[in-house]
Amino acid sequence: MGLPKPILRLLLVASVLSAYFAYDFCSEYQASQNDYATKASVESFFSARKHANQGHTNNWAVLVCASRYWFNYRHMANALGMYRTVKRLGIPDSNIILMLADDAACNSRNKFAGSVYANKGRGLDLYGENIEVDYRGYEVTVENFIRVLTGMGFARVWGRVADSMPRSKRLLSDDRSNIFIYMTGHGGNEFLKFQDNEEISAFDLADAIEQMWQKKRYNEIFFMIDTCQANTMYSKLYSPNILATGSSKLAESSYSHENDDDIGVAVIDSYTHHVLSYLESVNKTSKATMQDLFSTYSYEKIRSHAGVRSDLFNRPLDQTLITDFFGGVAQVEVLYEQDTEQQSPGESASLEEVPAPSLPTQPPAVLASERPQRMPGFKDRPVSDQQSTNSTLNTVKAARKREDSGLLHAFKLWGSSLLVGLLLFWTLSR
Amino acid sequence: MNLRHIHLLLTLHVCFSNAATSESYEETLQLTPLPDGKVSARFAFKTLASTNIEENQDSDDRPQHYKLFPLALGQLLRAQSISELHLSLNAGKWDYDKWGYPIDQSVASGAELWVWMSESSSNGTSVDQRWKDLSNGLAGLFCASLGALDETRTTKPQWAFGPEGDLLSSRSYHLRHAFLPSESVCTENLTPFLKLLPCKGKSGLSSLLNPHPLFGSNWHGIGVHVRPLAHESMELTMTFGAVLDPVRLSRGKRDWNFDDIFGRPIGRACPVASRSLIKVVLPAHAAYQIAPEPTTVDKDGATYDLTMLSFPLTIGMSWPQEERFQHSIASPSNPLSARRIITGGSQSRGDILFHFINNQNVSQDVVCVETAPWFVNYFLNTRRVVVNGIDREDIILETAYTLPRNHQPSLLETVLRLPAHSVTEMSMSFLKSFIAYTQHPPDAERGWDLPAAAISFTLTDSHPQEPARRLYTRNLLIDLPTPDFSMPYNVIIMSSTVIALFFGSVFNLLTRRFVWVKTRATDIVRD
Repeated sequence: MGLPKPILRLLLVASVLSAYFAYDFCSEYQASQNDYATKASVESFFSARKHANQGHTNNWAVLVCASRYWFNYRHMANALGMYRTVKRLGIPDSNIILMLADDAACNSRNKFAGSVYANKGRGLDLYGENIEVDYRGYEVTVENFIRVLTGMGFARVWGRVADSMPRSKRLLSDDRSNIFIYMTGHGGNEFLKFQDNEEISAFDLADAIEQMWQKKRYNEIFFMIDTCQANTMYSKLYSPNILATGSSKLAESSYSHENDDDIGVAVIDSYTHHVLSYLESVNKTSKATMQDLFSTYSYEKIRSHAGVRSDLFNRPLDQTLITDFFGGVAQVEVLYEQDTEQQSPGESASLEEVPAPSLPTQPPAVLASERPQRMPGFKDRPVSDQQSTNSTLNTVKAARKREDSGLLHAFKLWGSSLLVGLLLFWTLSR
Repeated sequence: MNLRHIHLLLTLHVCFSNAATSESYEETLQLTPLPDGKVSARFAFKTLASTNIEENQDSDDRPQHYKLFPLALGQLLRAQSISELHLSLNAGKWDYDKWGYPIDQSVASGAELWVWMSESSSNGTSVDQRWKDLSNGLAGLFCASLGALDETRTTKPQWAFGPEGDLLSSRSYHLRHAFLPSESVCTENLTPFLKLLPCKGKSGLSSLLNPHPLFGSNWHGIGVHVRPLAHESMELTMTFGAVLDPVRLSRGKRDWNFDDIFGRPIGRACPVASRSLIKVVLPAHAAYQIAPEPTTVDKDGATYDLTMLSFPLTIGMSWPQEERFQHSIASPSNPLSARRIITGGSQSRGDILFHFINNQNVSQDVVCVETAPWFVNYFLNTRRVVVNGIDREDIILETAYTLPRNHQPSLLETVLRLPAHSVTEMSMSFLKSFIAYTQHPPDAERGWDLPAAAISFTLTDSHPQEPARRLYTRNLLIDLPTPDFSMPYNVIIMSSTVIALFFGSVFNLLTRRFVWVKTRATDIVRD
């Protein structure tokens, strides 16, 4: 009653509008705070690779036999023995790149057509009836090997965007892949001979693997090499997460294991024979570790000093399973019915109605003990991280809802401004 | 009313979609006992799909719903807009004189790929680029090193390798052909072959494809043939041929059965095959026995229908009165046979010599297609044709020669009219170039494989709809002059040593000063 009517009306309108804008501003502020929390969690998710090992989700194998000619039958038997083992332990053909520089099974010198044997007396046929060789004959070159590792396309320099190299010949690994690289052939001090014609040096290999690290093409690599002076080949590696082993040290030769009288040549190398006979005792569910394998190395059995290089590998060897590299073990997380209704703890009270997520981001505590040992990264992540992930999920959902009503928000803004303008005009015109 | 319309539309759609992708699959095995005691086995897996990929290349988004036709192959053909495809991977030498003409023409040792593709494609790429992509795609699909079929091996023959399917007359098509004579065939080529079949080598005739006995045979070959047919359909024939030797396996007798030659019987029939037949060509003389009883016997031979037989099935033929098989000198004579050899022992030049034998009563026109790598240069002016000892240049009707340019191979096509009952010899000189040391293969001392020559002809008594026959000669090895591959190392080492010695001596001469050194008097006395 003290103030004139128009001013009262103006005050009323102004207070309503300011209340509205204050409410709006508060929720926006909250959203921006949640956005910041979202960004921080997202950032930590992607940088976790550097700090904690998240474990691998798929396995690849690159098996290379680099020598040709019939008298190098044992190198092809080496590579095929590894191929058989890796397939038996679960890596499918689509994840194996097998490079054989010559044809031993259907060679015209081979008395046993279609078969490659790795022991005297020809017990087990390594070629079998189901085999896919990705690179054969003249295609096994240093260039192709490095292209496979680094994923460089095979497109012509002046040509098309898409390259025509088929998928079966490409290493399509990602940053959660564990790769087993096996090389065999004739080698020497920091080199390996390809087809008696060219060499790959330890520096080339180290640089190729560093390119793989930069392109996030592997989680961990297990590098095994069976040649003369093999340990020198991995001496120049400098990328993280590599475990390497070789058959003989500097100035020492690796020897073949035995000859078969009917095939007429040596059929397997001593180091590979030792490793394969150890792996015969490993199956898909085995908990045997790398340390167990390396403890079986002995000069008396292998006849050369086999070596291991683990300084680039940040997991302890007695916790690294053999099936981490040799097997294609799939990790399955079982979700029970009651989890879908359970609200995950630590969910922040969001201002808007957020429907309960259909899949919980945190599995119930009852399964924690049954969680497989093979994903240490998942176990090592602190619980608060998971809770913040939950809240991140909800605030991301809330933020999305906010974004969805952007149009409504703009309408509110312009509508209220228009209303204010009209009222002012009406008031002033009086 | 609306619901009825919708129901009608749906029914029509379902009908049409069923009709649009109707496929049929049939498998045949033909076993022919040969006069020299061997058995020729030829598997044919034929899939007929009623969607013609070539026809629909403009509508690229049409889905490919295949049940029997292999999707991997279909996607590759669709992506590269290929109308007709012939791929063969063979090992061994087909002996025409002892075994006659094969059922599948492409018996050249190594890999042979030839395709007919239309000028325009759905995504506008050129014919050569699509050829390159196709050979890489097939290399991945069949685990063969077909990526080596680049421009150094690709040719465009004009008078042979005509289309065997029904190509549209409204479009222009191009032929690309390439040989890879050094390609080996082994189990890794058979594994994806079996995976492309509907029954995947688990049942039916494909279960007989056991790699161990088959890859130990005298000749074996894998074939993939795609050809378009009229009325928007496409036929895929996947073949596997082998010439097995029961005389060698049993050390003397030519009796054979599935357990001997394939190592296993047929477990069960393929459920999706509309026809599953085994045809056994019966020998002329009646001293054989065949078990079990065939379903039908006619002039072509005995036929077994797998739907009427019990499993496991083993078919066998035996000659009970024969103690040991007697090899005979006489061999069946073919209407036409051809041979090719290289003569001359020099490392820089040689002579190539063709032998044609025409056993017919009429003259025969043949097209001789020969390709050579760019470093083998033919001299056409040295070509001589001798018929029964007489020089006869007039029987050469036409010649087409593609010069080797930019490391592309040379292609020589000659049309000859071979007189009746004659032996014709055609010879030509060639020069071998010295190629750069990086262009040699890793095993350079072995030599370079010269691809087989294809001799294309049509017999006068053949059916007019039949495609032209082809004979293949052997692959030959050309001994190229190879450099000393250790020379770059030698040059570097020697020149470095010389320079080091020279520099060291000159440096010493210029900078070394001889000075007197004072020593104690007692040291001199002691010395």
